Amino acid sequence: MFSRSALARAFALPLEQAARPSLTRTTTFRACLHQATTTAPTTQAEEPLSANRRTESSTPDTHPTRQTPSTTTFRTDLPPSKQPIPPTFTNPLRVSQSLLTTLPYLTSQKPHYISAHLHDRPYLLTEGDELRLPFRMPNVAPGDVLRFNRASVLGSRDFTLKGSPYIDERLFECRVRVMGVDSEPLRVKEKTKRRRRHVQRVTSKHRYTLLRVMDVKVKTVEELKSQGEVVVVEDEKA
Amino acid sequence: MPLKGIRTVTAARNGVGAFILQCKRLDFHYCDWAGSSRGMVSFLKHSLPAFAKENPQIEIRVSPRPHKHPVIKGHYINGREKAVCVRNLEPEQILQKANLLKEASGEKLKRTKKPVTSINESVRGIWSPYHGDLRTI
Repeated sequence: MFSRSALARAFALPLEQAARPSLTRTTTFRACLHQATTTAPTTQAEEPLSANRRTESSTPDTHPTRQTPSTTTFRTDLPPSKQPIPPTFTNPLRVSQSLLTTLPYLTSQKPHYISAHLHDRPYLLTEGDELRLPFRMPNVAPGDVLRFNRASVLGSRDFTLKGSPYIDERLFECRVRVMGVDSEPLRVKEKTKRRRRHVQRVTSKHRYTLLRVMDVKVKTVEELKSQGEVVVVEDEKA
Repeated sequence: MPLKGIRTVTAARNGVGAFILQCKRLDFHYCDWAGSSRGMVSFLKHSLPAFAKENPQIEIRVSPRPHKHPVIKGHYINGREKAVCVRNLEPEQILQKANLLKEASGEKLKRTKKPVTSINESVRGIWSPYHGDLRTI
């Protein structure tokens, strides 16, 4: 069942969005918003690296909004080792005019899903999901809040925002809570050699971090503008 | 008109809004006489006060269990309990076991293949051949 209001909104898309070569005119209700088509080549080369560093360090970041790109406030309720690290990007966010006009469609249609990447593995998440990582994340304790800042796809029922390869981390918020550490049942691997009546039993018991997705949110245009980081660039090729 | 029960709108999911640690109680059992409890007695005397202070949300009970090996039992908010025997262990090893019980989810250990478990409906819906537009090849 698709909602009629969403359909009507989708059909009211601007013409240049519908007439994109990647879209056929008949599929207007599955509109794709391409974010990274407008990213400047300099930022494209730099940002994945910085995002990677932050993801791997997996430092909890509980800041809802950042006012300026270079400074973060010191939080008294957190120990010094868990202070949010300042963002590593220097350039303001560049979005195209077409993204600005089509982003409200995606923002207003809930719920959202996100394909968040952690150590280059995608996890398809919605709000409230439980995520059991295939490893034990170091330096986190139960109750910590992490923010996923790498996503390749972000979408709702009718709209999708695709990154090439990743969406800029300032366009969305995806937070997860560390729930604890889980373990698997003991595995026993029986190893044998030929012509030897001896069986070696190798045991292993891995531990995994449990996470719970707290929210998956796409920022609205007003939020992007209030951050003061938005630079609207014209489409080079509309 | 048949009587209808009130349907729940949302399911309570720990951690989405508020977060409650899964472990609610830790029981420490020891024996005064037996040698396998030596590390446990030392742990109770020296390390347990600091551990209890770090984790105020966990209720901690200490009780003797004569002529038996020392045991730590964790009780979880899903109703299950998990027991670890700590005979002949050093105090540091016992602290590790206590931390393990503290962080555990209380669920039965399972091998899972899929990382994500969800109770939400599919966001994009299920594909139907009868809806949408006709495509000509």
